[in-house]
Order: sequence, then structure tokens, then C-alpha cells
Amino acid sequence: MHDVAIKSKEVTLLEVLDRVLNKGVVVSGDIVISVADVDLIYLGLKVLLSSVETMEQLRGAPITGPMQEPT
Amino acid sequence: MTLNSVVETDFPEEFIEEMEKSSDVLPKKIDANPKNVEKGLAKLVLTLIELIRKLLEKQAMRRVEVGSLSEEEIERVGETLMKLENKMKELKQIFGLKDEELNLNLGPLGDLM
Amino acid sequence: MKLYTYGIIDSSKQINEPIYGLERACVYNIPYCDIGMVVSECTEPVQNVTKGSVLAHEEVIERLMGYFTVLPVRFHTVFDGRGGVVSLMQSYYKDFRDNLDRLRNKVEFGIKVIWPSDKIKEHIINTYKKNDQKVSVPDDSSNKRFIRKKLEKYKINEEFEKKANKFINVMDIFFSKFAAEKKLKKLKTKNLLLDAVYLVEKDKQDDFKEAFEHIKNAHASFKFLFSGLWPPYNFVILPKKNDLVRNLAQEDLFDKVIQHQDLVGADKI
Repeated sequence: MHDVAIKSKEVTLLEVLDRVLNKGVVVSGDIVISVADVDLIYLGLKVLLSSVETMEQLRGAPITGPMQEPT
Repeated sequence: MTLNSVVETDFPEEFIEEMEKSSDVLPKKIDANPKNVEKGLAKLVLTLIELIRKLLEKQAMRRVEVGSLSEEEIERVGETLMKLENKMKELKQIFGLKDEELNLNLGPLGDLM
Repeated sequence: MKLYTYGIIDSSKQINEPIYGLERACVYNIPYCDIGMVVSECTEPVQNVTKGSVLAHEEVIERLMGYFTVLPVRFHTVFDGRGGVVSLMQSYYKDFRDNLDRLRNKVEFGIKVIWPSDKIKEHIINTYKKNDQKVSVPDDSSNKRFIRKKLEKYKINEEFEKKANKFINVMDIFFSKFAAEKKLKKLKTKNLLLDAVYLVEKDKQDDFKEAFEHIKNAHASFKFLFSGLWPPYNFVILPKKNDLVRNLAQEDLFDKVIQHQDLVGADKI
């Protein structure tokens, strides 16, 4: 039961990620500093790289963990 | 922190698996390492070749199904397609690429393959 | 001062209720004509994608949805100053305005369906074998045998896709009754029969949910996922102008190819 709860949080996060990383208004170019495309990195821009380690961190994050969550 | 958005499913694990497989959620780390740039280029080129090859195959099958090819034509098409398939297998091996890697996600058009 | 952006709203007024975003900074509205960009000030250099920041971003947009129509901006879009924000709204005013008008009072729902693809394929293969309507391709050479095998695979796949489309159409007809717009991805993987998003008017959301429950109950061997309600992420339509703003969901193959070329430094090879 507990495991299902964890998986449910994970699938919710995936649904959120799919939207906020991929969709909506996407501004690119030198006027913004933005998250790199989901599967592409623009070498010419000074952008962040979403590292594999970060994603592991994201997926392994405990439900009630010491992550920076406002509120 | 609460979101208005709720995700309801009795099978979270199965959906996680499929979403990860369709790979447009999790970012892939692309290596800028010069050693791997070549592999990236090969991947792009081979993906496009695979697309064309599979389209040719599909077209050929349509014609065979409908019966618009003579026996000799079937023989030749078979030989050509077999050679193409083997060549692609060879190239994939040389560049250490797996079938799943040669798949461009086209968003609303779905995956290439 | 760096400005972290959340979304474009259909108002030039200030935000009355305090809403906090990343770095616990209070968000405010930068107006332009009768629209505005909701931002918060950020000090830290561009960070990694973290669960906390992603959820904080989403929460701001959802809070805004309670008061305005919102065009959500992609996660971690940071401007160097007010000037860039205003100039963006200036360049795209009409597009933003049109989208805000079109998306007013509408919300997004997502539906995903997993079907028993292995069983379905098995059934197709058995039917095919029984049918004895065998391939009329002679098998007196290895090349011909190759074609036979390919043809069999092809026919099975065609039937598989046909079945998929049949199921999808039935479901889509139901869902579409209460939806203004939709985007469907069919057979994204062999198991993921449908990955769809629907734009639904706020006052039709209960009907929409009911339609979903009905379909879910009618397909007991399928697995369903229902998500919502979301800001209209998938329904913002923006034209490509000077490559400044784009909707990733609409990019075409050519763009992907160009981007891949940039990525692998093809022009340098």
C-alpha cells in the first residue's frame, strides 16, 4: 500500500514534468536563461544541463524529505 | 504544498514504465564529449535511413499484398530488402546502437517508428 | 534583477493575494496593454531541475488560474530584466491575446490508456493462422521466403493498428462530446494505446469526468490514467517568429533535424 503511494507521487511528478518542461510558452534564445530542452542541449547558450544525477535525485526523492519545498 | 491537479490511476507503475519508454518526459543527458559526437551524428543519420528503409518495406508489402508484383519482382524486392536489413544490422553493430535508440519522437506525429 | 516567469495572464492589474514562487519570492504582474507576465525575482544562478522548484512553479500557475486565464510559461524561463519581458509581450501581443481569449474558462485534462497489447496481438496471430488465407507468395527461394515473413508481420501489424484505431475512436467520441479541443497520440508505445489531452470548459468538467468513468467501466481489461485539472499547457498555439517563441509540441521533423545537427556539431565535422 505504501509502495503504491510512492508510485502515485512519482506518476504525478512525471505528469507535471511533461507539462512544465515541454509545453506552454517556450521562449528561447539569448534573451532568456532557461532549462535546456528535454532531450537537447543548445551548446551555444549558457543554459543549465538537466543531469542524469539530478533526475535520479528527483525520482528517488522521499515523499517527506528535506527537499526545498516552499510552504 | 498541494496542487489542484490530481492524477488518478490504479496502475501507477505500469504508466510510469510506458511514460519512460516513450521517453519524452525524462531528459536524456547528451554527451558533448568529442568521442561521442560521432556517435550522435551516426545515430541521426541511421535514424533517417531506418525511416526510409521501413517506409520502403511497408510500400513493398502493400504491393505484394495487393498482388501487383510479378514473381520475379517479388524475388528481386526480397533480395534488396534483405540486403538493406542486413546492412543496417551491421551499421547498428558498428556504432553500438540499439533499435530503440534510432527513434525520433515527433511530438504530435508520434514516434518515427 | 533576474526575473523568473510563470505565465501570461489576461490582466494588467496587480495581483492582490500574495502568491509565493521560487525562492519563496512573492510574484507580481508586469503589465503590457491589457495583459501581463507574472514574475518573481530570483537571485540564484540557473539551478538544476528539482522536485521542489518544479512543484512550486506549477503551484503558482494553478493559483493564478483561480483568478485569471493563464498561458503557462515553460519551467525556468528567466529574463535578465523587465525590458526583455515587456519586449516579449510587445512582439507577441496579438498571439498572446488570441490565446487568452480562446482559452478563457477552459482547463486541460489528460487521459492515458494501456491496453493488453500482447493478448491482442496473440489473438490476431491465431486468427491469421486459422484463416488459411495464406500469403499467395511462393516460397521457393530464400528471398521469397523473406518476403513471406515480412508480409505476415506487416499484415499482423496492420490489423493491430486497425484494432487500436477502433478502440481509440470509440473512446474519443465519448470524450470529445465535452471537449473544445484535443490532442491524441496513438500507440505511443505498443502498450500505451492512447495518450490524450482534452481542453474542457470549466462547467463541463463533471460531464467529462463522467464520460471517462463510463469508458473505464466499459473496458475492464484496459488500464486507465486520468489527470487534471491542468492549466492549458498543450493548447497554447504560437507561430514561429524569429525563433524567439515556440511551442515545442508543434515542432516538426525538420526543426528536430536542425537541432540535432547543432547538437552534434555536424557543421564542424
